[in-house]
Amino acid sequence: MAHKRPTGAATPRSGAEVQRSKTVRRQTVGMSTEAQDGDDLQDRITNFLRRNFPQIQMHGGSAAIQNLDRETGEVTIMLGGACSGCGISPMTIQAIKTRMVKEIPEIETVHADTGMDGGGGGDAGGMSPSFPGETTEDDGDAGADEGPQAPF
Amino acid sequence: MTDFDPEKFEDKYVHYFAELQRAYKNAFETMNDAYDSELVHAIDQRVLNESEPLYEDGAFRIDLPENPHDRVTDAGVLVDEEKLSGTLDRYVDEIEAELRSVFDLDGE
Repeated sequence: MAHKRPTGAATPRSGAEVQRSKTVRRQTVGMSTEAQDGDDLQDRITNFLRRNFPQIQMHGGSAAIQNLDRETGEVTIMLGGACSGCGISPMTIQAIKTRMVKEIPEIETVHADTGMDGGGGGDAGGMSPSFPGETTEDDGDAGADEGPQAPF
Repeated sequence: MTDFDPEKFEDKYVHYFAELQRAYKNAFETMNDAYDSELVHAIDQRVLNESEPLYEDGAFRIDLPENPHDRVTDAGVLVDEEKLSGTLDRYVDEIEAELRSVFDLDGE
């Protein structure tokens, strides 16, 4: 039973797999480290997306908080996986932008993108095709079980 | 078929999100079959992602962002303005037709 860990057992989605596992320090950039644990706002954003946009997951896509600036109330959501080329992402993006500012008062501006930024590929690059942490049922206390869940 | 209520359409992303997705997706598939796939993807990702479907005076209209040509070329897709304009017009017509279909407003 020894340590037979296949080094790197690298699937193409190894990055996403890492996100899925336990203690993930989210992909937040530009956010002060002090807020990484028990970041209520971040949890609320994650839960907002999971609760209101299960279609992303159902269509084999993913959504991750890429940047959250608490000072300015600005958040960047990156849609990946199948979201980058299935025709439903435009309305998903618009709905996220429109609803999030209404439903999460701290959020003033939402940037949402599929990652097609000048690369021309239209592929966001093998992000996780689902919402890690989807088994969490309700949205009130994401921090109660496994701490900050993976960022979608 | 979904009953259409113009007032509820004011809050369309809450009440009609699935229908909007379906209309855009159907239009995307039609366009992707008929036109340059790379261009259709770029329009989908870089222009329509800032679009807004509106219902005004009994008809659907798609509000588009400014400078669609810059948006598409910034995504690395080289296309002349005329071709983009023609494809985008057709795409918008297709979305509007799909919206009428999804909401069963074709005969009105």
